[in-house]
Amino acid sequence: MALVKLNNKAVSNATAFGSITALGSMTFIKKLTASASATLSFVDGTDGVVLDDTYKEYVFTFNNIHPATDQAKFTFNVSSDSGSNYNVTKTTTYFTTYHQEDDGSPILQYEATFDLAQSTAFQNLSANMGNNNDDNLCGELKIFNPSSTTFVKHFIANNNHVHQTSAPASVEPFAAGYCNTTSAVDAVRFQMSSGNIDAGDICLYGIA
Amino acid sequence: MSRHHNINGNIVPFTAAEEAARDTEEAAIITNAPATALATLRDKRNRLLSATDYLALSDNTLTTAMATYRTALRDLPNGKDTVAKCTNAVFPTKP
Repeated sequence: MALVKLNNKAVSNATAFGSITALGSMTFIKKLTASASATLSFVDGTDGVVLDDTYKEYVFTFNNIHPATDQAKFTFNVSSDSGSNYNVTKTTTYFTTYHQEDDGSPILQYEATFDLAQSTAFQNLSANMGNNNDDNLCGELKIFNPSSTTFVKHFIANNNHVHQTSAPASVEPFAAGYCNTTSAVDAVRFQMSSGNIDAGDICLYGIA
Repeated sequence: MSRHHNINGNIVPFTAAEEAARDTEEAAIITNAPATALATLRDKRNRLLSATDYLALSDNTLTTAMATYRTALRDLPNGKDTVAKCTNAVFPTKP
């Protein structure tokens, strides 16, 4: 490998760089784009979607998720039967930070009505969202070892979004928990608590 | 475009049962709109009250202005039986 000469202005005389290996990778798998869509679902095994033991960690990124309906919550659930049913039992926690545009009500609090205790319901990933044209949500959800048949499946999600139109605010929820099943999870669905996902992208990546 | 699922990028139209369920859900949203608006109002009111709770502890004497402010917050939901009344509610100014 050539010598690299450093000074206060630049790196010079670098004619070649050594390779760095075995640091892992983040592999793009699939992007779904909402267009007045009731749900966005990633199902393992078709259309290029991988959600099995190929990777031990999967990341869903949310970009400009825009709800059609004011005060709808962004939610998700998982399936262990290739998307036939999204009703896996979950136990979760949920806390949030909140600060209004009028500088009011800055808070950090646990949201006891947003968590789940051995429930098959969809997990909230947001508070009531606004649906003004410029309101949206960006963030991510990580799921670990979804195909394990030994352990429960943990997930961690956080995002930032604009609160409902009557009380515009910056809201950053932190939702985490586990899918309490030893069956492989092979599909993930996102939807609003009411109305459609008007627009936005969700990308799936595998972490190796 | 009609109601649909996006599954791995494939558009899958709602079934008749899903359409009916969504119709019912949306009708309920309209029916419950005043209650939802009032809940939103109460939520913001509660946050504002909580922000001054520490001033109402037994080892502190509330100023008249602060007592008036907190009373106005507590009374704010009274009579708010429509979405418009809730949306247009004027919150008292914190002293």
